[in-house]
Amino acid sequence: MSAIDRAAVSLDTVPADRAHSPTQHQTGAREQWQVALARVALALAAIALWEAASRWFADPFWIGRPSDIAQRLWQLTITNQLFWHVVPTVTQAAAGLALSIVVGVPIGLLFAYSRFVERVLEPFFLGLYSIPRIALAPLFILWFGIGPASKIIMAFSLVVFVVILNTYEGIRGVDRELIDMLRSMRASHGYILRKVLLPSIVPWIFASIRVGVGLALIGAVVGELLGANRGLGWYVENSASRVDVTGVFAGLVILMVVGMLLNEIVKFFEQRVMRNRY
Amino acid sequence: MSAAPSLHLVSPAPAAKQAVPAVELAAVSVDYGGSVLAVADVALQLAEGEFLAIVGPSGCGKSTLLKIICGLERPSRGVVRLRGQPVERVPAEVGFMFQRDALLPWATVRENIAIGLECASAQKREPGVAIDELLELVGLSRFGGFYPRALSGGMRQRAALGRILAYAPDIYLMDEPFGALDAQTKLLMGQELLRIWARFGKAVVFVTHDIEEAVSLSDRVVVMSGRPGTIKSEYRIELPRPRLPREVRKIPNFHRYVDAIWNDIMSEPDRSHGISPDQTQV
Repeated sequence: MSAIDRAAVSLDTVPADRAHSPTQHQTGAREQWQVALARVALALAAIALWEAASRWFADPFWIGRPSDIAQRLWQLTITNQLFWHVVPTVTQAAAGLALSIVVGVPIGLLFAYSRFVERVLEPFFLGLYSIPRIALAPLFILWFGIGPASKIIMAFSLVVFVVILNTYEGIRGVDRELIDMLRSMRASHGYILRKVLLPSIVPWIFASIRVGVGLALIGAVVGELLGANRGLGWYVENSASRVDVTGVFAGLVILMVVGMLLNEIVKFFEQRVMRNRY
Repeated sequence: MSAAPSLHLVSPAPAAKQAVPAVELAAVSVDYGGSVLAVADVALQLAEGEFLAIVGPSGCGKSTLLKIICGLERPSRGVVRLRGQPVERVPAEVGFMFQRDALLPWATVRENIAIGLECASAQKREPGVAIDELLELVGLSRFGGFYPRALSGGMRQRAALGRILAYAPDIYLMDEPFGALDAQTKLLMGQELLRIWARFGKAVVFVTHDIEEAVSLSDRVVVMSGRPGTIKSEYRIELPRPRLPREVRKIPNFHRYVDAIWNDIMSEPDRSHGISPDQTQV
């Protein structure tokens, strides 16, 4: 290597600001603590207010009471009923979500690939999309029984449209130059799909999953509300029919926590996969 | 320009040589639907192993010519031949280097360079050089595992250069490959390119709007005028090789070439898209 070659190598090394900062929002640790503290304070204040209201202003028969709900949650945990109800709801939601991706991504690809297919299917797609899918729940239970299948289909029917639309948008936004680059090297369609198209929709798939987690939970719970013998939806429904407001609130709290946890899990994997790459 | 006669101005339509040219454009015109021509009646020949630069104001159809040679776009009229064969689809002989590096952001430098090798072997062609040697060649040995995001513009262009070297085409089409780099990096990349070109000796078509870059690198400079893009003049650059881009700029003849090309571009009737003298590095 000549002197100039070496100079070339040393001149454009990694820019310092990009070398060691994987996270984009690196707020100070101090601020993070303050935010966390404020959150806990807000939650405690809200719960305290609720508790006070149920003791002095309103009948807990109607609005529940945090201390009762906490007690119920504890009971559900130690009797293992929590696990018993959480598992079917989460697995059905996850299965519906997975099915949506397996089915939705190829359909989205097809839409983006062929202008003809897109134009033919568009009104049908919009028509199906416009049906409030919740209204289909009784039909699904009629068709698929009160087992897990009807809940999975319910979740699927809510999420699959999100996946299709996101895949479609993702493909349309693909950097044309990357495709031209591979075409200029005579790469096959399959190779371009593998190297450019599929990787470039990964952020869109993750966006679908983030939205889809909540929707899939809704689907599974709605299915359980209408016909099931276990699951969080069933627990809420069953409590309500016995006018057990504490039970209803306990079910809702569990659903909220489950939803938040699932979101955090998705975020964790998203960051692992996307880091530095997108 | 008084110095012009000594500058070996080539006649606009060079006489056909005996050997089959690597690339030949005959009466090529391009319009994008409608009556406005993007490129009008361009005739151009590139010999095997020649380093040809095309300069001209932005929007003069330089890049379009490259895409036509590469089969990514079709001319409206005229013929493009590669080694005597008309270009129908993307020919196997060419490799294209883009102004933006066109690296896959989700692949490491090594994986990006491997794409060139994979595409070469998919065509049952003898791949160029092993990947480690390529990384060494473009000065990225230590950065094979890095993602493009973590690299500077110069390093990314090096990786793109590594990829096209891995693909090992016989004809390199380079569309302002260093246009987005700062002046220093641009010089150094030119230096690297010449070093690698000297080693492999393949034909290069190098599109740029930087006249000094064109003169310092090439054997021949084609000057295009804008809208519609036509070839205005050609200069055979008879500066000694091997060249160091910084050293070659000290040779008096270098500046006579540059001045002559400036004058050609500035003498255009419509200068709305022209380059002004204070914009040497646009």
